[in-house]
Amino acid sequence: MSTLIVISILAIVVLYLGLFKAKQALLPISVLGLVAALALAIMEWNSNAAPIFSGMMHFDNFAVAFSSICIITTILVFLLSKNYFEKISDNVAEYYTLILFALSGIIVMVSYHNLSMLFVGLEIMSVSLYILAGIKRKDFASNEAALKYFLMGAFSTGFLLFGIALIYGASKSFDLAVIAQYVIDRPTGIDPIFYVGLVLMIVGLCFKVGAAPFHFWTPDVYEGAPTLITAFMSTVVKIAGFAAFLRLFSICFAPLQDFWMPTLLVITILTLFVGNITALYQTNFKRMLAFSSISHAGYMLFAIVALGAASTNAIFIYAAAYAVSSITAFAVLMLVKAKTGSENFEDFNGLAKSNPFLAFALTVAMLSFAGIPLTAGFIGKFFVFNAALAQYHTWLVAIAVVNAIIGVFYYFKVIVAMYFKDNQTKQIATPAYFNFVLGVSLIITLVLGIYPSFITNLF
Amino acid sequence: MENITSTIQAVPLNHYILLSAIIFTIGVIGVLVRRNAIIIFMSVELMLNAVNLLLAAFSSYSGDASGQVFVFFIMALAAAEVAVGLAIIVMVYRNTSSIDINILNRLKW
Amino acid sequence: MSLFYVVAFLSIIFALLVIFTKNPVHSVLYLIATFFTFTIHYIILNAQFLAVVNFIVYMGAIMVLFLFVLMLMNLNTDTEPMKSTLLKVVGAIAGGCLLVTLVGSMKTLSSASTTAMDNTGIGLVENLGKVLFSDFLLPFELSSILLLAAMVGAVLLAKKDNKTA
Repeated sequence: MSTLIVISILAIVVLYLGLFKAKQALLPISVLGLVAALALAIMEWNSNAAPIFSGMMHFDNFAVAFSSICIITTILVFLLSKNYFEKISDNVAEYYTLILFALSGIIVMVSYHNLSMLFVGLEIMSVSLYILAGIKRKDFASNEAALKYFLMGAFSTGFLLFGIALIYGASKSFDLAVIAQYVIDRPTGIDPIFYVGLVLMIVGLCFKVGAAPFHFWTPDVYEGAPTLITAFMSTVVKIAGFAAFLRLFSICFAPLQDFWMPTLLVITILTLFVGNITALYQTNFKRMLAFSSISHAGYMLFAIVALGAASTNAIFIYAAAYAVSSITAFAVLMLVKAKTGSENFEDFNGLAKSNPFLAFALTVAMLSFAGIPLTAGFIGKFFVFNAALAQYHTWLVAIAVVNAIIGVFYYFKVIVAMYFKDNQTKQIATPAYFNFVLGVSLIITLVLGIYPSFITNLF
Repeated sequence: MENITSTIQAVPLNHYILLSAIIFTIGVIGVLVRRNAIIIFMSVELMLNAVNLLLAAFSSYSGDASGQVFVFFIMALAAAEVAVGLAIIVMVYRNTSSIDINILNRLKW
Repeated sequence: MSLFYVVAFLSIIFALLVIFTKNPVHSVLYLIATFFTFTIHYIILNAQFLAVVNFIVYMGAIMVLFLFVLMLMNLNTDTEPMKSTLLKVVGAIAGGCLLVTLVGSMKTLSSASTTAMDNTGIGLVENLGKVLFSDFLLPFELSSILLLAAMVGAVLLAKKDNKTA
């Protein structure tokens, strides 16, 4: 709760700083505020919190873990934003404010204990993101991204709400505990509208996390939005979506696994294949990352399909690994784009010679994406697959492994471009902030890959 | 008052669910077949209103006020979304002089 | 009882007109009519406060905003090139499937939930206010963030920028 208050107040303070033209103070104050919020969140660890505000919010260990990872990732995104927004417009403070508002919505999404809170949190996040996707107002691609994201987001909200309404109609409550009790009390004879509501909620949530067949907005939006916002969307927002998904299903719908499991199973397999196979054909690095984020959504859905005691841990580790690798990839992309002006694979040619550190960091990130051992991505995939194997979905794991192998091809395309192709480019200057972010991500990726016991036993 | 109460008792809840489902579906069809961004947006408003009606009906029939409170939140969201959505549409229109979504499509939906 | 069916019929007709009229301004006007029938539904349901709010917020504020934007951008003619017939048919079929699924799965609704309400006063301001400010206090406070974010964003996007991007 205190985390949420700190972040909301921080957003308003930053808005005022913009009013008083204190531009230099924006970044330090935002980061300091987020560090404070992070500390407050971690202090709630293992405090055995009960649902507060008449069962609206429950800041349990699940919420602490996922809000911490979201806050840390946001701090990394903020550190990359030095001098980024200034190039776009004069209204820098508003952008920081909107990101912070989105983050406060995300905190609500990972700690909700009532469907009304899920709805409000999701909408705070979405509305802020519609705006952020369109902040390059003169840029056609950014406009397209904002409009498409907005229309699709509003459309999916409709489905989610219809689902919530039907579930309310059956169980007479929005409270997760009451709904869970409703399901437990009726081993047979649950109202059919409850099932319809459940399916509609799956549709709405799959739209929001960008799982196939509801993924079609993702590539265009991720490509069109400013790179920094894309970094935020594909890491923090995606993690929050999955946290909300998992929380809902593990608390409320776990006893109905036989009903929703086949649906989600189809969605998962479709997501994996669509994401990986289309990513193979991309020439634009940013678009490739968009499709790869779809396929990673598939891997994370895996853990929800095999819902069990280990699911939370699996998604947490996968999300952490995915977030740091994505941040690295987008940071390098921003530097390369600032240099060459485009985002294609050829722009990465010869990066290893001109800038070994950048190339090394990106290589590790790509290896982690592909799930090569000794990186965090491997541990993440290992735990996700393990959760599925524990439920005897052997052939499902086989499909996922095939997909992981497909993934290796397009991730290695970048590495090959950097190390084995020549190009007479000058050295790219890396600002200190970028070096810091890349270094931190690199260390996290390797440390998690080599000593995973840090976070494997959290839950 | 008595009159109103007896009116509700005569209409089965199923008919409200049916009505909401029909309106919701009309909204979905509108999103799928129209190309004008503003009309797509209005179809989304239809979907939200179908949800509002459904929640109000459930709430009245079960005698639980929380459903109607939820409708407030949906209305707050609708107001916020309209503001942001129309701002985005105005911004797009300034750049392209069109709000046909197909102009914006370099790729398929 | 028959009032409900008349109004429901009108709602469906107006909703269909919203999505099948060519002229966007007519669409907005039909949408207003649809919302008006919804207001009547709320009154039938004895949700009086919702009826008033629906009237003021939807028909007053939101629809006027729509009309303003349409008029400002001078879109009051039917400029929209229609989608290919194939896409339309596909869209209509997809929608029809959704409706059939929804209706079919709800047909078996248990009859227990059709019991009439026992508390006629829940839709009144006093009762709703008590629930809103006790049980739903936190989401209520959080909606302020939602509205603030939307306000900042709408100004940010629609205002003319002096600096070129």
